[in-house]
Amino acid sequence: MRWLRLYLRSRHVPLALTLGAGAMVLLWSLWSISSNSPDAGAPMVILTVLILVAIAGITLAGPDEALERTAALPWWPRRAAHVLVALAAVVVLVLVTLATGARFGPAMLVVRDAAGLLGLAALGAATLGATRAWFAPLGWTLAAIVFPSVEGSAGEVVTWQTQVPGNGPAAVTAGTLAVAGLMVYALSGPVRPAPAEAAL
Amino acid sequence: MTRILGIEIRRSAALGTVLVLLVAGAILLYAAPQRWAAGWMALAMVQREYLVLLWPLALAAGAYQARREHRTHVAELFASTARPRAQRVIPVLGAMAIASVTAYLLVIAIGLPWIVDTADYLPARVFLVVAVGALAMIGGAWLGLAVGRLLPSVVTAPALAVAGLGFLMLLPVATKNRPWLTMALSPMYGMGQYTDYQTVGVKASLAQVIWLVALAVVGVVLLASGSWRSRVATLLPVVLGVALAVSVIPRDRFVANQTDKVAQELVCADGTPRVCISRIHAGLTPEIVPQARQALTTLAKLPDPPTAVHEDTTTYYPAWSPDPQPGVVLLDVHVDKYGHLAWPSRVVPDVVIAAMTPGRLCEDGSDYSASRAAAAYVLGVEPAGDWGQWGVVSDEPDPDVGTFLTALRKLPEQEALARVAALRRAAAECGDLRAALTGRTR
Repeated sequence: MRWLRLYLRSRHVPLALTLGAGAMVLLWSLWSISSNSPDAGAPMVILTVLILVAIAGITLAGPDEALERTAALPWWPRRAAHVLVALAAVVVLVLVTLATGARFGPAMLVVRDAAGLLGLAALGAATLGATRAWFAPLGWTLAAIVFPSVEGSAGEVVTWQTQVPGNGPAAVTAGTLAVAGLMVYALSGPVRPAPAEAAL
Repeated sequence: MTRILGIEIRRSAALGTVLVLLVAGAILLYAAPQRWAAGWMALAMVQREYLVLLWPLALAAGAYQARREHRTHVAELFASTARPRAQRVIPVLGAMAIASVTAYLLVIAIGLPWIVDTADYLPARVFLVVAVGALAMIGGAWLGLAVGRLLPSVVTAPALAVAGLGFLMLLPVATKNRPWLTMALSPMYGMGQYTDYQTVGVKASLAQVIWLVALAVVGVVLLASGSWRSRVATLLPVVLGVALAVSVIPRDRFVANQTDKVAQELVCADGTPRVCISRIHAGLTPEIVPQARQALTTLAKLPDPPTAVHEDTTTYYPAWSPDPQPGVVLLDVHVDKYGHLAWPSRVVPDVVIAAMTPGRLCEDGSDYSASRAAAAYVLGVEPAGDWGQWGVVSDEPDPDVGTFLTALRKLPEQEALARVAALRRAAAECGDLRAALTGRTR
């Protein structure tokens, strides 16, 4: 238990949970106030998932990666578990709204986008560092939201975030990103930043 | 100062910003080249529309850069230097402004070779449109720097980008269908071209400049100031900017749909018969003129044949169409994604069909089947499915066309041509084309 508490603290998990819950409440209130529709629009849902994934991204590295690697601990199961729990947290946080008057759904879309974007963020953390993990999810998703109507399978792959929940190519893309992110992050861990930038 | 600026450009997020914006902008541009292949104004306006993505990214880049001092734990150290904060932020402001403007201009430069050999008409307004876009990028980056400094968190940058995108996309909804207000506050609104003649009004651009300068000032003050009093004082440029912009912009329903009358003006090719193309499409003259003349030659065997082809410069919003002139056939000109004439093989049939079609002033009386059958007879070819305007008419053969055409071909040539002439007279009078073609009226 003590190890877990220290681990969560070193990953800024309390901060991320607070930010995530705050962002969710804010976006939920925005939709409740501004719209009469009980179901949030797809762009709103996708952007919500994006923000929550960006927040989850800050937990993907500790203050001193080099020091942690010296520990005689098998890191890869822990890292994999971290990503999976983060995914569950994002999904649960969004899907809780299904029980309220402003529903952020459908569940399939939330799960697909959360998994794909979190995989992308994990890839970012493993290559650019946790403080830059949001680069690719943000750029890609904003572009897909602005230009959702690209036709053909290639178009559906490129704009996978905005496709309807049952779309095959989009689901495959999200799945690939999720698995790739999970594997790369679990096996290689976050990239070691320059010492001066180590802490958040 | 130049040396410090150079160091700042190398050490800040400036180079990364240029790279990200350049890649994003180039992908957007080449994802749909048909949107901007028609000319320089089309390129400038499409690039402005893509601010919907580039502007939030500039915000994010600024916010990311602003966390640097916080991230490297030197904020306190720097605060102890004997320099005013305003002086210390100038290099970073300069670096981010240079980065965002460079990226914006480079994206346009990437689009340049695609249209350089087909686009002729370059009005000075293009530079204004580009300049406003560049100003928007500076404002975005500086505002991002300010917000990033006030809220130095990792998630500030992505959240700000999402908020910026939300602002741009929801502004038309929030202003409750007041296009002039949206246009004054959003640098990307109203930049989608309905016609190739569309432009951006000077007054609208001026209003946007005022608002964007106000935003940039807010960014600088928020970044440079240390006291809450001066931060609150940034409300002043915001209010002033909105008020001035709103007072400058014309309260016109068509504020976002201005037509460039010079681009729309017809330019006639040398030689006879007369073929005139709008100035914006003048680069396509060599592709259109021979075919248009061939069509006129074909039509010459009719009595009282048309003598000239003009481009149809009609705009629908606002509704405007050229005055009908006797003997002039109107031709729709569309530009394909390579900047050349779209569907070049359709020019001849299009002109002949247009010569058989009632003018725009007729409320009804247009009859596709009769017009096409007459055109097919005059051309001496079988009617093709893709003869429809805009390519929206179905490719399925129209049985009526075949019936009319067979009937015409059975007649002696003199009689058939007389019927086609009767159809043209009926078209000129908004009469019944079908009756004229089947010989029921003379």
